Amino acid sequence: MSRQARPTRRDVLFGRLGAAVRRVGPKQGDELKRAVIQGRHCLAYRELMCSTCYERCPEEGAIVMDRGIPSVVADRCTGCGDCQGVCPAPVNAVLMIRAQPVIQRSKP
Amino acid sequence: MELKRREFIQIAAMTAATGLAGSMADRARASGAPPLPDQPDIPGVNWEKAPCRFCGTGCHVQVGVKDDKVVAIAGDREADVNKGLLCVKGYHVGMILYGEDRLTKPMARREGQLVPIEWDEAIDIAARRIMESGSKFGFYISGQSTIPEGYAAQKLMKGGLSNNHIEANARLCMASAVTGFLSTYGVDEPASCYDDLDTCDTLILWGNNPAEMHPILFSRVMDRQARGDKVTLIDIGTRHTRTTERADHFLKMQGNGDLAIANCIAQQLIENDTYDHAFVEKHCNFRADRDPSKAFDSVIDHDTYVAHVKEAGASGLFGEAISFEQYKKLVSYYTPEKAEELSGVPADQLRMLADVFADKSKKIVSLWCMGMNQHTAGTAVNNLVHNVHLMSGHWGKPGDGPQSLTGQPAACGTVREVGTLAHALPGGRIVAKEAHRDHAEGFWNLPKGRVNPKPGYHTVKMFQMLSTPTDQGGDIDTVWVQVTNPGQTLPNTKKLFKAKAELKDKFLIVSEVYPTATTELADLVLPAAMWVEKNGIYGNSERRTQQWFKMVTPPGEARDDCWQTLAVARRLFELGHPGLKDKDGEYLFRINDEDGKEVPYWQWEHYYDVNVDKALFDDYRRFTFMKHKNVAPYDELVKHRGLRWPVVETEPGKFRETRWRFVEGDDPYVEKGAGIQFYHSTTKDHKAQLWFRPHQWPAEMPDDALPLNLVTGRVIEHWHSGTMTMRIPQLRRAMPGAYVEMNPDDARERGITNGDMVRVTTRRGELNLPAWINGRANPQRGHVFVPFFDESAQINDLTLGEIDPFSKQPDYKKCAAEVTRLDQPHPYSREVVQ
Repeated sequence: MSRQARPTRRDVLFGRLGAAVRRVGPKQGDELKRAVIQGRHCLAYRELMCSTCYERCPEEGAIVMDRGIPSVVADRCTGCGDCQGVCPAPVNAVLMIRAQPVIQRSKP
Repeated sequence: MELKRREFIQIAAMTAATGLAGSMADRARASGAPPLPDQPDIPGVNWEKAPCRFCGTGCHVQVGVKDDKVVAIAGDREADVNKGLLCVKGYHVGMILYGEDRLTKPMARREGQLVPIEWDEAIDIAARRIMESGSKFGFYISGQSTIPEGYAAQKLMKGGLSNNHIEANARLCMASAVTGFLSTYGVDEPASCYDDLDTCDTLILWGNNPAEMHPILFSRVMDRQARGDKVTLIDIGTRHTRTTERADHFLKMQGNGDLAIANCIAQQLIENDTYDHAFVEKHCNFRADRDPSKAFDSVIDHDTYVAHVKEAGASGLFGEAISFEQYKKLVSYYTPEKAEELSGVPADQLRMLADVFADKSKKIVSLWCMGMNQHTAGTAVNNLVHNVHLMSGHWGKPGDGPQSLTGQPAACGTVREVGTLAHALPGGRIVAKEAHRDHAEGFWNLPKGRVNPKPGYHTVKMFQMLSTPTDQGGDIDTVWVQVTNPGQTLPNTKKLFKAKAELKDKFLIVSEVYPTATTELADLVLPAAMWVEKNGIYGNSERRTQQWFKMVTPPGEARDDCWQTLAVARRLFELGHPGLKDKDGEYLFRINDEDGKEVPYWQWEHYYDVNVDKALFDDYRRFTFMKHKNVAPYDELVKHRGLRWPVVETEPGKFRETRWRFVEGDDPYVEKGAGIQFYHSTTKDHKAQLWFRPHQWPAEMPDDALPLNLVTGRVIEHWHSGTMTMRIPQLRRAMPGAYVEMNPDDARERGITNGDMVRVTTRRGELNLPAWINGRANPQRGHVFVPFFDESAQINDLTLGEIDPFSKQPDYKKCAAEVTRLDQPHPYSREVVQ
């Protein structure tokens, strides 16, 4: 694949910018997680024009913006945690949750 | 007990979250839900008000202090400006105090190294150097200096040392807005206020990106839209930004296209006879740069324009009177088709914009900031935007008028009002006028002739002279820099600042809080207290003067900038400098206690024995009455979240602020029955000036070798040179480094993809940066954007030093550049070579 053919915004600045990201997960052996954006902590929900997680998500289409509000597309999210690492909100608005719900079976 | 850094971050985060909830509570309140408490309730934390340290919006924060540390920040719900909300920077503002590398000890350069020294020695070195330098000394302060700091520096320089080489970094930021206001209305600063954003139905953004630069103001409008108000956003600019995403119309223009666009609106208003005849008749005169009987070009290049201005001399800013007929003829050139050719904006869109102004039922607010001010024709374009509002009568009604924004928290308060510029005196007066000098000398009790009538060097000239060898005419040999970072923010820094490194006889004194590009070349570093570590007063872009008290002790031996200025002044007095005595032989900065005894506040241990800020502010306040810019007394400011001048005493002890200047009913200085009265009109007839200014080309145009146009600016996460915000972990992580933003087509032609390391080249130098394509913003074809916050990639090494001939403000938005891909992939790149 030629370089010109894929000028995707998802590879953005993985030089210097990527290097400074605090990596929060997943480590090997961790269970698979997904990011969830919590509206009550997210600056974008207050019309404060934040889109850092969307800009820095390395997976095309995993975070989408609608009228300035970001949300995670669970099927596309790999659980890398970059969005949590870069979130500048005073209380981190990104929550990493288990990818699969734990279903407890009642004993017969 | 000292709070650990981690605890601090947690508490700051926790309380800021309450701030976020607070903004929602306002909406909940309408539905009958009980309001939240004004401040988060945390045991042992005391709360006090302060304006935010960052931009010119002037939000108020509640600062939570525990054990002499700022531990929490919350939006101030009583503040009119932000109503409890803060932006991403504001929520973290407390952490600017606690970066790990705060400067805590004075340092002098000995054999090339900065070595710690004692304060007494530092003050003595500074004073002796200033004494020796005489007229070769320059003082460079800031739009982030507090009003008392600015006033102390101003009085020391102009009243004490008879030296007018005092400048502030607002020259790089606001100067064109000032000359615009002066030449249109005869007096500086906006007539309207932020309240207009709550009532306008059309918002026009002239090269302005408030979504990132003034997020709180933008959120005021977005919030209205969310509640169902119809507000039409028209964005005029060279770059598709976050603001553009929310805009209804985007007028994509070429550099300097704003001149042609505004002239075209005027042409359309006249051609369609939709201008406001009554308003123009009653309130406006017409003016042009020069007598139209001389050859008058409709489109002019920068050098020719500068030559015209030079020819006109000092009176050039005020031009010559012309008739309506002459004006009509001059603007008739700018038909929509012609303006399309000049600006790149399609004629249909220009007609649409003219129709918006023609519609009397609309309420239109124009916003602008650096896009129009950092412009080699900055004064001209400021005049032209005032023009279209005046001509169409969209002026002086709530929600209907032009509003210029500032980038710094006291660019208005300290620089424009105190007049810390080479030509100015406090209160909007100038050194060139004898009557103004006499007044100042009277207030300061100085012998006649003490204030030097000759304006000093403007910022670019001052640093050019500092960086030029003495034997080649560089006649500034000492500069004292306070509260700003010219090493990173001057244009063309290699020539204008960094060249000083080779000149051993030049001396740079820097008062700073952190190591910066400026302290790197400093010969004397004075560690400074910042923000709530000292008392202060700021003035924001809607004329709001805001006061705060010292809340925590500065670290180590860091001390107030104002104290530093006054301690040096005292040392100069002790060394026998004649200028530090008034005409009765008294010390120029004498402050008495309640019993009339002199307070030795120049000794640091006595500095807070008396409120020096209050003494200086009330001394300064007398100046503000002369041009009807009356600021409130200090004690009134203590009670309020800022008051907008002119503040007048309606009955004893009761003060009233002014929201709309020159408008009867609100501005107390407008005569009864006048309606609107421009009482400082340059033509003395209470009328504003409608200017003809020709379209001008940028000073440096792209060509074959350098085919792109380089624009610089800010990002939402960082403020100016990043000295403060790059030390806040959350902000640094969110935006850790500079980049070059490119148009995808320009990138494709050069074989550049996202994340590639590229080289940006201009005639001044080159810089390697990663490329960002289709990112946060998208420049149009032929334009690239680089933010200037990053100390490790200083784009101002490459920018152009050309200035507006009136305002002397440099143009950071237009210079010729080329971008090429570097052969090696970036070492951190994830790009896998296949």
